[in-house]
Amino acid sequence: MSETEKARVLFVDDERRILTTMRMLFRGDYQMFFANSANEAIEFLKRETVDVVVSDQRMPGMTGVDLLREAKDLRPEAMRILLTGYSDLDAIIGSINEGEIFRFVNKPWDNKELKATVAQAVEASHTTREAIQLSRGESGEDGQAVSNLPATLVLDEDPSVAPAIQQMLGNQYRIVAATTIEGAIEIMEREAVGVVITDTRVQNQSVVSLLSTLKEHNPELISMVVTARADAGMAIELINQGQIYRFITKPLRETQTKITVASAINQHRRMARHKQLSRRYQVQKPVEPKPESPPLASGLLNRIRSLRRLVTG
Amino acid sequence: MKFVKLFFSLVLVIAALGGLGFLIQKTQAADGQKHLERLAALQNINDLDVALNRAMTLNRASSLQLQSDNKSEIITSLGDALDDIDSGDNSLRGLAPAIDKALDQFLATAGDKFVLAFDFDIRSSQIIQRLIRSADAVPLYINQSKNLVETGGNVDQLLSRLQTDAMAVIIATNPEERLLDGIQSQLVTLKASIAPDQLELAKSVDQLEFAIKSVMADKRELVERLDEFFDAPTAQDLNSLNDVYTQWHESRVSEAAEYRQYLVAYAVVLLLILAWLGLRLRRSFIELDKANETLESQVEERTRDLSHTLKELQNSQAQLIQSEKMASLGQMVAGVAHEINTPLGYARGNADIVKTSLAEVRTVTDQQSKALQMIANGAASEEAIAEALSMAIALDQDLATGELLDELDSLLGDTDHGLEQIAELVASLKDFSRVDRSRDDLFDVNKGIESALKIGQNHLKGNIQVKKVFGELPEIECSPSQLNQIFLNIITNAAQAIDVAGRDEGRIFIHTSPLNEGVSIRILDNGCGMSEETMAHIFEPFFTTKPVGKGTGLGMSIIYRIIEDHGGSIDVKSIEGKGSEFSVWLPLKQPDVATADDAVAAAA
Repeated sequence: MSETEKARVLFVDDERRILTTMRMLFRGDYQMFFANSANEAIEFLKRETVDVVVSDQRMPGMTGVDLLREAKDLRPEAMRILLTGYSDLDAIIGSINEGEIFRFVNKPWDNKELKATVAQAVEASHTTREAIQLSRGESGEDGQAVSNLPATLVLDEDPSVAPAIQQMLGNQYRIVAATTIEGAIEIMEREAVGVVITDTRVQNQSVVSLLSTLKEHNPELISMVVTARADAGMAIELINQGQIYRFITKPLRETQTKITVASAINQHRRMARHKQLSRRYQVQKPVEPKPESPPLASGLLNRIRSLRRLVTG
Repeated sequence: MKFVKLFFSLVLVIAALGGLGFLIQKTQAADGQKHLERLAALQNINDLDVALNRAMTLNRASSLQLQSDNKSEIITSLGDALDDIDSGDNSLRGLAPAIDKALDQFLATAGDKFVLAFDFDIRSSQIIQRLIRSADAVPLYINQSKNLVETGGNVDQLLSRLQTDAMAVIIATNPEERLLDGIQSQLVTLKASIAPDQLELAKSVDQLEFAIKSVMADKRELVERLDEFFDAPTAQDLNSLNDVYTQWHESRVSEAAEYRQYLVAYAVVLLLILAWLGLRLRRSFIELDKANETLESQVEERTRDLSHTLKELQNSQAQLIQSEKMASLGQMVAGVAHEINTPLGYARGNADIVKTSLAEVRTVTDQQSKALQMIANGAASEEAIAEALSMAIALDQDLATGELLDELDSLLGDTDHGLEQIAELVASLKDFSRVDRSRDDLFDVNKGIESALKIGQNHLKGNIQVKKVFGELPEIECSPSQLNQIFLNIITNAAQAIDVAGRDEGRIFIHTSPLNEGVSIRILDNGCGMSEETMAHIFEPFFTTKPVGKGTGLGMSIIYRIIEDHGGSIDVKSIEGKGSEFSVWLPLKQPDVATADDAVAAAA
């Protein structure tokens, strides 16, 4: 592979030693570019295309989340990875909702995992370059009647959440409600669901593995988390393993909810039309299942797998 | 408002009294005493009138006597009585139009009657004198004529009868018509009985006839005058006056009775209002009494509530201070975690790279060792040695071992640097928290500022230059961790102020020097500065210029508290838009360590 054919990766960190390490770690694998600050990175992105941007969060002048949001506008095809020593919850939520990042990697990182993650990102970027160009500028609307729109599933232990969301959205969207994971899967077996809105925990069980499995088998399914119990660690899991589209903290506000759900539905339809795009939203396999969030029972897993036909069919 | 209310109630009271007065006045319209007096006056007039009539009647009865003395007395009394009801004490005039009319009528009639009475008095005395004369002449002419006729004869008898009848007419108050007619016919008979030759007798009879006729005429005139007098309708008019007056009085009485009823009703209403007011007053008094009784317990309750609230406030203040501590601790941990994780990240990454690379280098050195051993042993063929060597060289070239080792060296140098950084940070953290030191420790303020700068370096990156001018400071007695908190707080505030001002070149200047048995620390920045108002409130709890949720507004108040507890002072100067300066002075020795410690413990 000649130098020009190699994937292009931009590393951004205010600590030069990090950049040195990256240079050594990915030596020979990619065509690498380095920026010592967010502004430098933006200047670079204005000039050059890249496949992947790996950025630190805490930098003087501009945070990594702000940089990645800019990068999303400048180079939408570039996959975005946040590599950071510490981030507060606001930054993590911002990286989901504004940066739409692929992975959130904590410092200190594991070299192997980081390499795998960057490789995954590079591969996703390469294989979806055409699709992203095609889908770019599409509004997602294709004249489908409202009745043909896939349903939005609200999964929340609190039965008052779904009606509240339905009221905010009006009749434009169809809402189906479930208060248990079982109930949610039953609904998805019955009808086409495009968007899942869920709390972080249902029946005292984390939804990370559910969302991860759903995403793995139905990549077009868009998931949103709406919660009052925001937690930084779980938010990172939801990015990396759930590839959630949006993270919203309760209480819900009408305008925000409307815009977000509309955007999620459009995203779903874009992904349904350009199936390669789903590679950009691959979930990370958990390294080892955490004891507090047991993997879904195998019966449930099989049912989820069979959903694929329903959703995509 | 109160005045208006008072005025209003005063008007109400006056109106109520006015109504009462009006009604009472209305009920007084019929004066009973006056009424009786007036009735008596009318009765008196009636009596006098009757008396006058009687006097006149007596007059007629004894028409030959003059009884004017009695009569004039009566007339005088009557005149007085009339004046009395006309314009005197018992005047009826002006009471009512009907009464006035009846009064006028009566007075006119009475006046007429007086005129008739006077007239009669004057006329009757003339007539009576003439009558007496005529009456005296009758027996004279009778006797004269009798002397001319035969006694016991027809003429004589006629004469006797005529004399008797004439006397009867003279005596009678009101001679009967029959008697008069009889006299007329007797005179005719007498004259017819006289022979034409009896001239003397005829002359005498003519004289007699004249005298008798004169008597009769005078008598008739007297009677007519009297009748006229009696015919004056004084009694009638008086009666009608009496009636009209009585009627008027009755109407007044009934009107008064009506108003009396109104008065009673009004009085009842007023009484009811009074009773209601009384009840209210009574109730107010009862309530007042009750309030007085419960006041003490209420005061007690309030005091209890207040002290409870005070305790709650103190608790929540302590909680707030605690949460401010936790918030700044969280901020600090976030910064420090990032500061540590970054060198940790590259140190660990580098170590891993070195480890992997060393494995690759090992294959080269292994191959080289193998070739070298083959040479040393001498057992291997030259070809084999050459092959082994060329393999080793190829591997070495492939890997560019020399460059790799240089790079690994450099990576290890970075790693070393990273680990040193981590060690420094940990040491600063330890210095900063100073949990291992007590309050009366001797402390180098310059070192404290250095460790605060280290901890806060996350805030000071990029465009902020920190310039330090540290003087030779004596160590001071203090609580090092608290002083470090002050330095970190002021320095991070300065960094935030520079950020807010959006300076391209932020500068923080820190100057320390010994001053007046203590040390002086000045921290200046070229940030956004503060307004006069902000400066006036800067050390007050909960005052913050940061957006909601970004600061509790306790930071500066806690700084103030700590410095005060240390017996030091803090001063702030600022120009809005230019920058701020914080000057802190801390004494060398703590005046009373134990008390200050307690105070700090209480504040926490």
